[in-house]
Amino acid sequence: MKSDCKRTIDRLPSYVDRQLAPDEDADVDRHLNACPPCRRIAERERGGRLVLQQESSRLRSEPLPPGLRSRCEALARDHATRSSSSRGAAPVMRSLMTGWRSTLVPSVLGAVLLVFTASALLAIATRRSDAVLAAQLTADHSKCFLVWGDAGKSPVEAGDVERMLASRYGWTIHVPPSSAAAGVQLIGARRCLYADGVVPHVMYRAHGHDLSLYVLNGVARQPSELVTFGHRSRIWTRNQKTYVLVSSAAAEGLPDATRYMMSEAY
Amino acid sequence: MFGRRPSTGPDAFSDEVLRHLEPLYATALRLTRNRADAEDLVQDTVVKALRFEERFERGTNLRAWLYTILHNTWRNRVRDTARETVDVDSTRIDELSAEPGGPAELETPERLLLRDALGQEVQAALDALPAAFRQAVWLRDVEDFSYAEIAKMLDVPIGTVMSRISRGRRQLFDALTKKHDEGNVVPVAK
Repeated sequence: MKSDCKRTIDRLPSYVDRQLAPDEDADVDRHLNACPPCRRIAERERGGRLVLQQESSRLRSEPLPPGLRSRCEALARDHATRSSSSRGAAPVMRSLMTGWRSTLVPSVLGAVLLVFTASALLAIATRRSDAVLAAQLTADHSKCFLVWGDAGKSPVEAGDVERMLASRYGWTIHVPPSSAAAGVQLIGARRCLYADGVVPHVMYRAHGHDLSLYVLNGVARQPSELVTFGHRSRIWTRNQKTYVLVSSAAAEGLPDATRYMMSEAY
Repeated sequence: MFGRRPSTGPDAFSDEVLRHLEPLYATALRLTRNRADAEDLVQDTVVKALRFEERFERGTNLRAWLYTILHNTWRNRVRDTARETVDVDSTRIDELSAEPGGPAELETPERLLLRDALGQEVQAALDALPAAFRQAVWLRDVEDFSYAEIAKMLDVPIGTVMSRISRGRRQLFDALTKKHDEGNVVPVAK
């Protein structure tokens, strides 16, 4: 490639964006008039930009999935309540994050998210009723099985799931393995966005029903069982962790699976 | 296009953040190419924006700040899952994708714009671009950010941003014109 061509090609984005100084612009024009291969490249670049610009408002007006806006509004309200009631958390954050531009680095962020998960959930535990907890996790349970359930219907090893949760999110939890005796099959795990924290969500099949186990760090609650939105939630606490088991109400509580989970989750 | 939304959040800052939900989701969708991941990504972005409100410098561009959080979050997640390589050397990608010739030579940008049902094709063609190119052209040509803002969002030098924009635009144009020519030339069998 001639040096003139290279110089022209390098300037094409600014040329197409009409951001070159007049003399540079004229310079590129001169070269393009004299050089058909470069002219063709410039046409392709201009074409790509024109198409995207023409379609930009349509491309940007993607309808929001149902519930996303209301969840984000709830996050905003929650945030406002928390920041007015407990200013104490802010200095901790400030020392952990030293400027958003440079510090959204993975390791730091991972640590920050974990800190937040624990503190946010503790704050929530004192304010939110079991019904709210159950309703939110039920919504996540339904969504996850709808979106991810089909992809992960084949059984997986508990050890693999534990390693994945540890390496990807920094969570060390004991994942109850599949058990033929209890009729439980482990099919996967993912991150659940609960309120404004993130918690592990372990997915099972039990006697043909979808079954979810959620592990909330540092939250202590009274054991309870309740039905919301057609799903049964069993809540219990062990070793400073709260466990919530969610299944369809039609599954009648899955007594053997529930007993198994309550003894194996720790 | 939209009127001013009535206040929905509990304060002015969160109102401002929530006003950007639609374009953030559209961007997240092009980034993740998956509705569930896009939804998670937008929600994470909102959580972080609210949480790090104090880090936002008043008077600077909130939209650019939100997009930076969105891209940082996605980069962390992608690298964690090693699902896709974003920090790929763009010249290498370009070497791999052959320069087309043939019938596409005839298509001009103006003719392309007149085509019916272009929108759906553009979306598909965008999704087919290598991630690094897709992000760059989206932020420049759809979202209209400056090269410097995009460089910050993607955490790459400005020169790299410009070269990705160049190559992304070319590949997008080629994909749209090539597909069209094939559609016209290849007769329907049966």
